Amino acid sequence: MKPTAGRTVEVGRSIPRLEAREKVSGRAEYIHNMRLPGMLYGKIFRSTVAHGRIRSIDVSAAAALEGVHRVVTGDDIRAIIPNPYYGPAFHDQPILALEKVRHVGEPVAVVLASDPHVAEEAAQLIVAEYDELPAVFDEVEAMTSPAIVHDVLKPAGTFPDLKHLEGRKNTNIALDFKLRRGDPEAAFAKADYVFEHTFRTQQVMHTPLEPMVSLAESTGSSVTIYTSTQMPSFVRIEIARLLGWPENRVRVKTAFLGGGFGAKVYIKLEALVTALSLLVRLPVKISLTMEEQFYTITKHGTTVRIKSGVTKDGRITSRRCEAWWNGGAYADIGPRVTQKSGFTAPGPYDIENVHIDSYALYTNLPPAGALRGFGIPQLVWAYESHTDLIARELNIDPLEFRRKNILRDGRPQATGTIMKDAATDAVLERLAERMNWGAPFDRGSGSIRRGRGIAIGFKASISPTTSGAIVNLYGDGSCSVYCGTVDMGQGSDTAIAQIAAEVLNIPAETVKIVHPDTDVTPYDMGTLGSRSTYHMGLAVKLAAEDARDKLLALAVELGLPAETTPVAALLRKKYGMQAGNIVGVGSFIPSYTPSDHATGLSPDVTPFWMIGGAGAEVEVDTETGHVRITRLINVADAGKLINPKIVETQISGAAIMQLGCTMLERMEFDAGQVTNASLADYKIPGMRDLPEQMENEAIDAQQHSGPFGAKGVGETGTFAVSPAIANAIHDAVGVRLTALPLTAEAVYRAIREKNNDPLEEK
Amino acid sequence: MTPFELIEPGSLREAIDLLDAGDPSVRPIAGGTALMLMMKAGVFRPTRLVSLRSIEQRFSNIEVGPSGELRIGAMTALSVLERSPLVRREAPVITETLRTLSNVRVRNVATVGGNLAHADPHMDLPPVLIALGARIAIVGLSGDRTILIEELVTGYYETVLALNELIAELIIPPQAQRRAAYLKCTTRSADDWPALGVAVSLDMEGTLIREPRVVISAATEKPTRLTAAESVLRGSSMDDSVLRRLGEAAADEAAVIGDASGSAPYKKQLVRVYVQRAVRKALGTPSEKRAASQ
Repeated sequence: MKPTAGRTVEVGRSIPRLEAREKVSGRAEYIHNMRLPGMLYGKIFRSTVAHGRIRSIDVSAAAALEGVHRVVTGDDIRAIIPNPYYGPAFHDQPILALEKVRHVGEPVAVVLASDPHVAEEAAQLIVAEYDELPAVFDEVEAMTSPAIVHDVLKPAGTFPDLKHLEGRKNTNIALDFKLRRGDPEAAFAKADYVFEHTFRTQQVMHTPLEPMVSLAESTGSSVTIYTSTQMPSFVRIEIARLLGWPENRVRVKTAFLGGGFGAKVYIKLEALVTALSLLVRLPVKISLTMEEQFYTITKHGTTVRIKSGVTKDGRITSRRCEAWWNGGAYADIGPRVTQKSGFTAPGPYDIENVHIDSYALYTNLPPAGALRGFGIPQLVWAYESHTDLIARELNIDPLEFRRKNILRDGRPQATGTIMKDAATDAVLERLAERMNWGAPFDRGSGSIRRGRGIAIGFKASISPTTSGAIVNLYGDGSCSVYCGTVDMGQGSDTAIAQIAAEVLNIPAETVKIVHPDTDVTPYDMGTLGSRSTYHMGLAVKLAAEDARDKLLALAVELGLPAETTPVAALLRKKYGMQAGNIVGVGSFIPSYTPSDHATGLSPDVTPFWMIGGAGAEVEVDTETGHVRITRLINVADAGKLINPKIVETQISGAAIMQLGCTMLERMEFDAGQVTNASLADYKIPGMRDLPEQMENEAIDAQQHSGPFGAKGVGETGTFAVSPAIANAIHDAVGVRLTALPLTAEAVYRAIREKNNDPLEEK
Repeated sequence: MTPFELIEPGSLREAIDLLDAGDPSVRPIAGGTALMLMMKAGVFRPTRLVSLRSIEQRFSNIEVGPSGELRIGAMTALSVLERSPLVRREAPVITETLRTLSNVRVRNVATVGGNLAHADPHMDLPPVLIALGARIAIVGLSGDRTILIEELVTGYYETVLALNELIAELIIPPQAQRRAAYLKCTTRSADDWPALGVAVSLDMEGTLIREPRVVISAATEKPTRLTAAESVLRGSSMDDSVLRRLGEAAADEAAVIGDASGSAPYKKQLVRVYVQRAVRKALGTPSEKRAASQ
């Protein structure tokens, strides 16, 4: 056994991902490849209207098509699940539409056939008639719109801060989070300057290249669900609740995911395939197309209004933030986004007086949930654009202005929670250094103008959440870790193996990770919000330490030297042959104090903070508005790095994803219908869209409460990219864009407006 | 996708016999890169597809004809065109255009004939070929004919081809000293469909521009020659004022259509800027370094 103090051997090593060889050789397991004997394929028939009462659903032609096994509607579902509504925050989403449809693309019926082409053909023969209702699409209008998406609010009961909404009628507000600190109004009155701006973000989609896919097989008294999910434990609990069954009759298994990014959290297709499988007593699989994903889950479009009081020497004394989150027709995890991100809306700045109102709104768009950043990129877009505008107005260097106001370690965040192990100033300084901020900058000439910008954002971890893990040493001493963390491409298998290996003093490459299977792996809240390295990392560390302690005890019991006797020899001595196990268990939940309902304050709101900064250098073509990003620098505080190479790819991957949301991506709607629901018309970044130079760095830092000093990093690279680029565009050509995406046309129009020669409207 | 009949005849004539002048659900298929997407989306539901993959090898050949013209079989894969030394020698603008045309997977199977017959206005090759004065040989039951490519497309996904006619060959006249350039402008990702394509070709007599051709695509319903813009160039010598007038004339006459890739007024501005840049590029006098994707 190796001493745990001091230098680490396995942790901090950039080993290649454990599954890399399997993936590139096509041997990795994905749910998409699964087929079971007798399996039926389901094809979903979807609503064509944004809001309407269902008058009739005629499935006769579909049911009559040769090869169709059965056509199922919401009424059939209700026959086996009397109250078929699901959702993590609200039980608002029916498995198939009942009475009403609330967005275009909502599942209304399903055709089942053993040939997926037949199912698809038949789905086109279904005819539904609706009495259309007034619809609301805009998040700000939804506050006061006469169009009401849900007749009654039905909080799930899981979250105490939603209880007050139980039974409310005539409202689209699915959460009204408030934070009150100090006396903002008095501070505004005293301030030398007051600035107010409004910023908007657009709906985008997660675009995992593996669309959602779920397969359920039921025996009648139990069900096994094979699903591409980030949350196997939640799926089991929610399905058990819907069926009124004990958890042990529901088994949920995952494999590798072809991307998740928050699209595959909570329930997506799992309740539907389960109900279908119970109805027809055959395995049922549904694989969505890329197009269908656009109607399944999206990232919140937002409007954020932000107002600051500033002294003439550049200190922010007061800030008021109002955020409206376009949650679409079903709440999904939107109310959590509204609160957990909402309380960071003033940004990583030390501001004495803060007022936050953050509203989750129902609208008649496809549901919105969490997308890599859990609402943070939308807020950073607003507050870091705002910060830059103030600095410009006051004629203070944007870096200097941030330095004056940055929220340092040991100071209270808006909630009152003291910042700890949050390297805000170190990230800002490193960013400035890498940008060579103090040096002269080539500003371009002619029709090509150059500019640069910086931005910094931060995020709390969602809390409180728990993870459990088992470390199992077999008779020959080899090791498996049973844990519910889903490796969806972020490299969690490798990081977890490194943590277990460090404790057990074995090479990480020899550790096997047993993938989530709720019959086998312990409970884990889910793989989201950059929580796994910290929470699961600590659980695995505890489990490995437990196994190590048991080995030591066994050595003492057998009278063998603990330091030098191999595990296999210990077990052989104990059992007389190669046999037995050493099973270590561990679980972790951080301390947490819920925020006060009236003030939003809490002394302990998060177990750790994530800090992300970005710097951009751009060239703007003043004749067309095209923006070329010549340099993008991403700096993160990720604590100690378990695997530096994987951390770097997480930072760059997140930044590139946000680059897409910044420059290219926008779901276009026409009366609630997505008009660009395909990869031909919805463009995500390709290789040729990457910045010419991209540098990613995780600074030297420690999260003292984390496993070996580590914390989460999956989302950090997204935080600051959008405002850094908008700030650079402003620097280059003197125009401010307040809505994403920053298209060439938007830039060009802004330039024309600045020159008092606006381009005519469309 | 629903079931359909797939036939793979061994000759072009057989293929034509299997087509049906009166039934649009019977279609030829070459590389299938566009057709398969339409079928998957349910936009096109064939009853019969006539695959051209086994027709005579000569329809996949590239050669220089007796009068110096480049003759390219309609079944030539775009990647073969891209890598052809003959094409690079005779019409390097084609080689260059292909580098950023769709992606390597598509270029490996998509064919020259299919690319032209598809008549999607966002294609890169048609404006280039129109600028080069290229023609196509069309084969059909009612006889064979040769037309200019600028006469091929009549509208959005519409051509002069009868349902039982096939493009057999692409013929590019000798370019001699003519210079040509193509610029693709995308407004979302670099690999997006173009918001605008501009192809120009011209000759110089001393300092004077001769026989200019200016063609735009993607922003318009079909690839379109801009004749007023050509008039500005014809007989002029290149200077900034000519380029400015060229840009204005092009923007005035271009019947651009606004869509998700840009509003109509913005696309007019793109036309104004990109025709000037394309002429500069053809003449080898690019102005300053350009931002953004092209």
